[in-house]
Amino acid sequence: MTLLHHKVDREAGAQPASRRRRRGSGVWKVALVFLAPTLLLLLVLRVIPITEAIVASFQRSPSRVAPPRWVGFENYEALLSNGDFAQVLGVTGLFILIIIPFQVISAIFLALLLNERFPGLGIVRAFIFVPVAAPAAVATVVWGVAFQPQGPINAVLEAVGIPGQPFLTSPDQALLAIIILMSWIGVGYWTLFLVAGLQDIPHELYEAASIDGAGWWRSFFSITLPNLRRTLAFIIVADTVASLIAFVPVALLTRGGPADSTRLIMYDAYNNTFVLGDPHLGQAEVTILILVLVAITALQFRLLGREKES
Amino acid sequence: MRKHYRYIAVAVAAATIAGIAGCSATDGGDGGGSESGTVTLLMADPQENVQPALDAFAEAYPDITVEYEYVPFDQFNNLIEQRVGGGDDSVDVYAVDSGAVGSLATKGYLVDLTDDFADKVASDSLPATADANTFDGKLWSVPLWTSLQYLYYNKDLLDAAGVAYPSQNLDEAATYQQLLEDSKKVQAAGATWGLLFGQINRYYQLQPLVESAGGGSGVAGDDLLTADINNEGWLSAMDWYSQLFEDGVAPRGIATEQMSALFATGEAAYLVNGPWQIAQNIAEDKVNYGVAANPVWEGGDPAMSTGSWNLGINPATDNLEASKTLIEFLSLTQEGNSAAAEPQGTSPTFNASFDEFVNGLDARDGERTAGLGELTSALLNNTAVNRPNSPGFTQMADVTGRAFEDIRNGQDVKATLDDAQAELQGLWDRLK
Repeated sequence: MTLLHHKVDREAGAQPASRRRRRGSGVWKVALVFLAPTLLLLLVLRVIPITEAIVASFQRSPSRVAPPRWVGFENYEALLSNGDFAQVLGVTGLFILIIIPFQVISAIFLALLLNERFPGLGIVRAFIFVPVAAPAAVATVVWGVAFQPQGPINAVLEAVGIPGQPFLTSPDQALLAIIILMSWIGVGYWTLFLVAGLQDIPHELYEAASIDGAGWWRSFFSITLPNLRRTLAFIIVADTVASLIAFVPVALLTRGGPADSTRLIMYDAYNNTFVLGDPHLGQAEVTILILVLVAITALQFRLLGREKES
Repeated sequence: MRKHYRYIAVAVAAATIAGIAGCSATDGGDGGGSESGTVTLLMADPQENVQPALDAFAEAYPDITVEYEYVPFDQFNNLIEQRVGGGDDSVDVYAVDSGAVGSLATKGYLVDLTDDFADKVASDSLPATADANTFDGKLWSVPLWTSLQYLYYNKDLLDAAGVAYPSQNLDEAATYQQLLEDSKKVQAAGATWGLLFGQINRYYQLQPLVESAGGGSGVAGDDLLTADINNEGWLSAMDWYSQLFEDGVAPRGIATEQMSALFATGEAAYLVNGPWQIAQNIAEDKVNYGVAANPVWEGGDPAMSTGSWNLGINPATDNLEASKTLIEFLSLTQEGNSAAAEPQGTSPTFNASFDEFVNGLDARDGERTAGLGELTSALLNNTAVNRPNSPGFTQMADVTGRAFEDIRNGQDVKATLDDAQAELQGLWDRLK
């Protein structure tokens, strides 16, 4: 690489424009060779499946082995004219509205805690980060047992005089129970980024604020939060994307119930495709999901871009 | 490797088909198949449940290797959809649930077996199993097991509450209504749970309840794609079912797979479940139980779930003839069919195997299973109802399964059934 660069630099100034262009294309070819593995993976794992999903969403077939036919927007019309899909969108929206603020605020709180020095810090840190390493399916099954009406959580509640709760068997509590178990798994992960962000804030800023007489809260709002803006923007967007494709707890514990109260969009797309054997309807749902994800990612780039300018 | 097999298999299959065609005039187009190659068998049962049958097959056909793949029931249909639906040739033979035959055949996921086995199934297997495997006048799979349901009761718990044992006589079968009341009495005397069902939220198990209450199977219309799951019979049956959980007679929030263990460990007064429960009771050795006739709706006709797993062939198979040889051995020979049913104590479907099974029932667990052979024949002959062979059965099982679970969790019965009816009809309209 060094040799190549050296040669390119030496020759650059002396050559006419046409030669430079030719050599320029040579550099691109080299770059392409190095990029090829990544581009190939992107093509196979992302571009082709997404294209297939979009194409299939405009088709229908009586079964997966029969050749599909083009039906225009029929699958989208079937989805959008169906009250069940409106319910799916409503549940998914409510889920995002609760889980994102809950996880982000919890992660900020935990990051601030871990940024302090106190006895037993190592143990607290382990308790927060260990769930991140636990396989989601295992954590889900364990929480599923804990949430049973005759399970350990209710045993504790009843021991202290609080009536047992229905948790996953109640349409009023099931979504909240899913949010709690997903946050137990996920919050530690987001906390990691915030701890790194906190450690990047120059200590002098806090010293200067302290000399000016600023208290803890003033320092938090005027120094900590503004300096964490980039990290927070990333976390909010990444958490939203991760939550939109949440699947495991619903598939293992509630299958979308009770009364469709946990029927998140990813589970519904899976159910349409693999349980009900209607992949084209499922792909239409996936396409809608992709559009939402693209919009969120675009927003992320905008937020981060603006941050860079400022 | 697979591709390699495929070319060989195609050549072998072509040669064999030519051979069969050549001799069909003299032997009537009998099943038969090649006697070499590897056959992948995909089932929703752990391998030990069919191991004796696989061992017997290996001995009879040493040149055919069977690779067994176990997929848990909850993922089974999804996996068939992905692998058979995706044209995966690494599945040769797979288990076909009764009720799903029409749906799978319509989608093109099964090889038509009419010419090979229809006559044999009609003459040598239990009559109801031929219907269960036939759709649109063609045979798509062959029966492996069939099922029936008994009412198991815990003698010690009933004695403690002074409640009489339910009858083994079909004419005096316990009613669902009476069982609900008796359950409460037994619970008041100390039982944790009253009445449980082996598959507490699945269509297979609850179909007899609604059929006995006069609600029918839930399928109407000539094309079997008109939903009828919110009629009076369904509403009455589901009101009763809702009450079961409302009164704490059966538990909410516990997975259906655990029901069998709850009875076998002595925690429940009654359990409606198949003959396989006997094996679990014997294994746990914790319950002093009796076996009675499947319950009936007050004033209604008796109805009992039947049908079980069948075997079908993936059209993408690269070893059609060896696959046929395997399913013929497991379904249509006494040796294979008896061995396949033995580990779980479930009912075989080949007539001779079935007779052997019924004759052995009385002695399965000493005095506790006395009279079971006669009861079994009476139940199968008079009360068995198959799952409807609708092309939309998959959708029906999913929608009703969710509705049952919602009702179990305390949702309003009428609203839940109305929603389920609309959802199911919407899904079925897309199939028309």
